[in-house]
Amino acid sequence: MQPKAEKPIVAATGISVYYGALRVLREVSVRVFPSEIRVILGTSGCGKTTLLKTMVGLLRPAAGSVRLFDVEIGEQDDPETIAVLKKAGVLFQNGALLGSLTVEENIALPLQMHTSLPQRLIGEIVEYKLSQVRLAGSGHLYPAELSGGMRKRAALARALAHDPPVLFCDEPSAGLDPTTAAGLDRLLLDLRRTLGITIVVVTHELRSIETIADNVSFLKDGSVLFDGTLAEALTLTTGPVGEFFSRAEPPLPAGNGGPGYGFIVERDS
Amino acid sequence: MDLPHENPVTIITLPTDLDYFWVEKTRLFDRPEQALVLDFSATKRLDSAALCAIRLLQEDLKARNGRLVLRNVSEDLLSLLENPSKPLEISARAPRSPEGGFFALVGDRLIGAKESCIAALSVLAEMLYWGTIGILKKREFRRGVVGEQMYLLGYKALGIVGLLSFLIGMVLAIQVAMQLKDFGASVFLGPLIGITMIREMGPILTAVILAGRTGSATTAEIGTMGVGEELDALRTMGINPIQFIVVPKFWALSLTMPVLSTLGTGAGILGGWLVGIFYLGLSSSTFWGQLSENLHAEDVFTGLIKSVVFSWLIIWIGAYYGFRVRGSAESVGRETTASVVACIFIIIVADAAFSFIL
Repeated sequence: MQPKAEKPIVAATGISVYYGALRVLREVSVRVFPSEIRVILGTSGCGKTTLLKTMVGLLRPAAGSVRLFDVEIGEQDDPETIAVLKKAGVLFQNGALLGSLTVEENIALPLQMHTSLPQRLIGEIVEYKLSQVRLAGSGHLYPAELSGGMRKRAALARALAHDPPVLFCDEPSAGLDPTTAAGLDRLLLDLRRTLGITIVVVTHELRSIETIADNVSFLKDGSVLFDGTLAEALTLTTGPVGEFFSRAEPPLPAGNGGPGYGFIVERDS
Repeated sequence: MDLPHENPVTIITLPTDLDYFWVEKTRLFDRPEQALVLDFSATKRLDSAALCAIRLLQEDLKARNGRLVLRNVSEDLLSLLENPSKPLEISARAPRSPEGGFFALVGDRLIGAKESCIAALSVLAEMLYWGTIGILKKREFRRGVVGEQMYLLGYKALGIVGLLSFLIGMVLAIQVAMQLKDFGASVFLGPLIGITMIREMGPILTAVILAGRTGSATTAEIGTMGVGEELDALRTMGINPIQFIVVPKFWALSLTMPVLSTLGTGAGILGGWLVGIFYLGLSSSTFWGQLSENLHAEDVFTGLIKSVVFSWLIIWIGAYYGFRVRGSAESVGRETTASVVACIFIIIVADAAFSFIL
């Protein structure tokens, strides 16, 4: 596990999040350390994306706190929050590229808005980022003109435009063919190796988890059920984590959740 | 079989494939009998409609103390029929509507209205802040986009504003001309139409057209960006969506609306002039002479002030409803409709307020 002396880059402590009256996260605590690839996993609807959105300040927890680089994430208009979030890159599930801008304009946007770099240099950085995600020559296209995989890679280039020390990815390989998904996983590993970037990935793609994860946090019904290394998780054979990794369907509860209809059955002997 | 003697037993032999065609034909879900035997001897498969129909039949017969017997049903089919799906845990969530009757409902609505007002005022405050003081943060103000928006919101609306204003000017002039003719006061057509168009009709007509055109487009654009997580992406990049999306539109419309309103007013007066010339037989010099004699700078100023304020209202309401969109395309449609209605309403209210102030 992690060396305890090191300060976490991301520290979510006891966070609970509600959508109206529905509690989606219950006292969740997750810590992510420098240069770690932490995968937040679990079955659909367990609160993974909600946890990621809370970590990047898009949702406010009803209880608990999120600290990024030791700064508590507050309201979206809080100057300290805005400043610390500029150190994070976020890759959204569907890319979330701005449809009215071309790919290169999308990638240049954070640099234009937050730096005083000359346009020529920004253009060069954009070209470099595009080649990093293997999209060189596609900068002039609009997001609507890209395939799903290209859109995701373009979104990754935008998330990496200002070389953030921490990258959050929401379902990076969802909806991609296995080859493209594997390419994206390799890219994340390269980024960690070359830039020492810390990566938080939300996914339920087993192949991807087994390729990239150092540590995993397993969520079930909004609570953290397991928190440890991937190797530890893979040793589990029973329980929800074991079932998840063995690709087994969880057993149905006795009586399948209800009293039944009480049919009277008659059989010819 | 142990069925009550007073109830004749109906035996229904089910087919091999028990599907919804068969269920529909035999109305299996709605049988009047008190005692029913379903013979599954030949049945190999049943679809969802058949499964649910048999479950409904069982519940109905139980409720009226009847009896349903499944004869020779296989274990597989029986387990399908018996196992109700597990209810989702979220069914334990709090009810959406308040309990406690009328007063609780009114209270809930009032709280909702208060929250909406706060949200709307917050959008207005942010729009005015980022549109004025925030512009001093030079790097973050997208000047090029203002020009683009002026073209889209202003220039492209020119045709429809001009045409409708021209027609309204003509219609107004014809109605007025009929009355003036009776009183022998036709010479006053110029000032009547001119001042009405300059002070009132020009700005309000332009505003109503732009509420339908620009207000709705603003709501739909912001709403669609919300659904596609583009607003979230902007926020995580430390970019304020109001500053990024709304402010360029705010400036574009603030600059183009007075021009559009002036051109619309001109087109309306032109319509009135045509009626004066061809319907009342006035001379051009009489029409324009009377108009310039009675027109004051204050009238022009009032019209221009109104058009600027209306442009702010259109962008504000359009943006506010855009940020209200939650989750789906249907929500985009709903908020866009609400935005146009609210926009037109608030423009008319503001116009009424101006009538007292200016």
